[in-house]
Amino acid sequence: MSALTKSLHPDDKVKAGKLGSGMVKVGIGLAALFGILSIILGAVHGDNWKRFFYAYVIGWMFIVSIPIGMLWLVLLHHLVRGRWATAVRRLCECMTLAFPVVFIFGLPIIIALLAGYSDLYYWNHPDARNAALNPHMQHKLSAWLTPFWFAFRFVVYGAIYTGISMYFAKKSREQDDSGDPKISDRMRIASGPAMILYAFTTCALAFDVLMSIAPKWYSTIYGVGYWATSEVGAFSALALLVLWVQRNGRLVHSINEEHYHDIGKWNFSFTFFWAYTAFSQFMLQWYGNMPEETVWYKYRMFGEWQWVSIAILVGYWAFPFVFLMSRWTKRIVPSLVFFSVWQLAFHWLNLYWNAMPSYDWEVTYEGTQKLVQGPLMGSLAHHHVGLSAVDFTVWIALVGVLIAAIGRNLTGNLIPTKDPTLGMSLAHEQL
Amino acid sequence: MATEIETNGNGEGELYGLLAEFDTPGELVEAARKVHDAGITEFDCYSPFPVHGIDPAMGIKRTILPLIIFGGGFSGAMGGLALQWYCNAHAWTWNISGKPTWSIPANIPVAYECAILIAALTSFLGMWIFNKLPQVWHPFFRRDRFAHVTDDAFFIGIEARDRRFDQDKTTKLLQDAGAINVENVYLDPDPAKKQMPKWITAFIVASTAFALVPFAIAAKARNSKSTEPHIHIFPDMDYQPKYKSDQMMDVFADERANRGEIQGTVARGWLTTDDLFYRGLETSEAGAKWTTAFPKTYPDGRPFVVDMDLLQRGRNRFEIYCTPCHGYDGRGNGMIPERVKLTGGLWQARNLIEAPDKDGKGGVAVQMPNGQLFNTISNGYNTMMGYAAQIPHADRWAIVAYVRALQRAQNAAQTDIPADQQGSLR
Repeated sequence: MSALTKSLHPDDKVKAGKLGSGMVKVGIGLAALFGILSIILGAVHGDNWKRFFYAYVIGWMFIVSIPIGMLWLVLLHHLVRGRWATAVRRLCECMTLAFPVVFIFGLPIIIALLAGYSDLYYWNHPDARNAALNPHMQHKLSAWLTPFWFAFRFVVYGAIYTGISMYFAKKSREQDDSGDPKISDRMRIASGPAMILYAFTTCALAFDVLMSIAPKWYSTIYGVGYWATSEVGAFSALALLVLWVQRNGRLVHSINEEHYHDIGKWNFSFTFFWAYTAFSQFMLQWYGNMPEETVWYKYRMFGEWQWVSIAILVGYWAFPFVFLMSRWTKRIVPSLVFFSVWQLAFHWLNLYWNAMPSYDWEVTYEGTQKLVQGPLMGSLAHHHVGLSAVDFTVWIALVGVLIAAIGRNLTGNLIPTKDPTLGMSLAHEQL
Repeated sequence: MATEIETNGNGEGELYGLLAEFDTPGELVEAARKVHDAGITEFDCYSPFPVHGIDPAMGIKRTILPLIIFGGGFSGAMGGLALQWYCNAHAWTWNISGKPTWSIPANIPVAYECAILIAALTSFLGMWIFNKLPQVWHPFFRRDRFAHVTDDAFFIGIEARDRRFDQDKTTKLLQDAGAINVENVYLDPDPAKKQMPKWITAFIVASTAFALVPFAIAAKARNSKSTEPHIHIFPDMDYQPKYKSDQMMDVFADERANRGEIQGTVARGWLTTDDLFYRGLETSEAGAKWTTAFPKTYPDGRPFVVDMDLLQRGRNRFEIYCTPCHGYDGRGNGMIPERVKLTGGLWQARNLIEAPDKDGKGGVAVQMPNGQLFNTISNGYNTMMGYAAQIPHADRWAIVAYVRALQRAQNAAQTDIPADQQGSLR
């Protein structure tokens, strides 16, 4: 590679100006409108808010995945002394700074758990602690899945993410003022331990919030799978944010199709990596054929959910895999927008598919007796996909929260103006 | 050779082309653009590393290699699937633990690896073919300075066969484009050196022939008979300095390497005087009969209790040693009788849980006393061989207990279900 560099284009607008406040307004509007709608729909759903809370967990795991994915890019960029991403790194940092707001909006789950709400997580249900009903779950319940310990961990995850993201964002802004190249070195040294901490935190978050919805089932690669789908969502969101910022006249000369191409490449590679981890998880459990593991797939391979599974296989893997492989799909703006929106929608569907088959806890005997037996029990015919309006309204409301939380951070320079590698990033070219 | 040509001037060989050296990659790109703009097509750029922007400057279209690689990867995946279908589901179907012979999820890892292998080979070979490599006999190698192209020098080479080539004009074009040196390159007067050197041809032929030697040996071995012993690659592992129990040894009077037990002794843990525990027999003055109960104690004095732990142990052992023939439920539908059935055989495994009819016929295993069941596990029955060598005595009793539980469960009546759970019966 030739080390060609460019300096910032003199006409380029790098200041955010009123860009962020506009985003905040749109986000708050969406969140308020759809939030109220969700509360009404959740209340009239008539299942003691169960559907609402399931939709909430899915929607929250969706919005937290975007800053999680972007934090990884920031850390990796420092860790390997990346060059191409310097031009978009400030926007990534703004996305990671959404963590505190996102985690505050995770609190309804925690408050409900602490208040004894037992329809969301079966492990918080009195039946779950009955050793006669659930003999093989008690060790998890006593050691790990208790409301207080869960709440404590949730706060720790939020603190770790917020701490890491604020450190890197703050140092990066400091460099804008001082132009001190040593700040880059300091961030690089910090990025190694931060990456390790990040990996453990992300795995644990996925185990706790999403995997524990089906508390008897387990998969050690689950955290990696959640991380992979998060990256697909995050790079799609980054592409949309970059294009939106440029549409508003900022960074028009700094970010070009060479950078879109790299964002799209990451999207492509994580699409495949997600499929790889998802298949690895499936393959081992399917082949091992142990009832406590295959039960998770039983309700997804057969019955109504098999159509959602096929839709994800085709829509989230086969179609984007074949098309994002080409060069042009990543470089032409309309195509990049199409695939980003497409991947975000399927990222949500994938999370929905991870959580929602566990929704039905009731097992019917002889058409008369109904017993609550927990997730993934009873006949397949009782497990419906049952898409509900509240699934979508909660999701859109939480996306509004994310938009506002990101917009809040769009202030000052939208590009690290004095980063030593900025010149190389501006001159970046795909071979 | 190169110096010889230079001292001799251009008297040897015809002109092949011009080789112009540039100082930086930036100048190389600019010069390439000028050469392309002048309408010259038969030229190439040489650089130690990939240079950004050189392809459009030279007017080169994007390569179609990625599409070919995609085709290679796709055919690799399909070929992998076809291979597995042919081997597992068509040519040699084999029942492995009742798994289907053709199953897409199980085939994906191999198909995936084949896709990667063929895609990688396609990209490697495709790159060589499209770049017309190897060309170690290229005339530019006759210039010493050209060796620096892998280190710190940048070149444009224009071939004389280009229809716009004119030695003076083209030289001037290159000099105007910023070349620090323009050289004429001549073909070697020796016609043998205009093509692939003989030694390369010889090497390729020899190595190809050599690569076929193992196949030739294998083919010969398959089609011929030999009285020679086979080849020992590790003789000290094949012939170890030791005696085996069936070998001769002239140190002892009986010339046997195997030394038997000393008369009148029993090894620790091998004293089996307890007929009830070790043979399932109740002995009295009248004689011996099969016990219908279980032993009272283990040989070490612990009480023998039929409890859940024992049944679980029995189930565990049963599923390892007995299910291949008798099946998980004891009905005799294990994998081996299933395979016999598939291949048209008549042999069946004993149905362990079949109840006797009104006249007391059939239901052999149900009617056996515990002791006889134990003895059957130890010493076999009809075509079943004994498992004394594989299963310790205590585990055999655990299996007996589990078989009894199976017989009870599989022949249960509705009244056996507790009253409060009768409703859940479907």
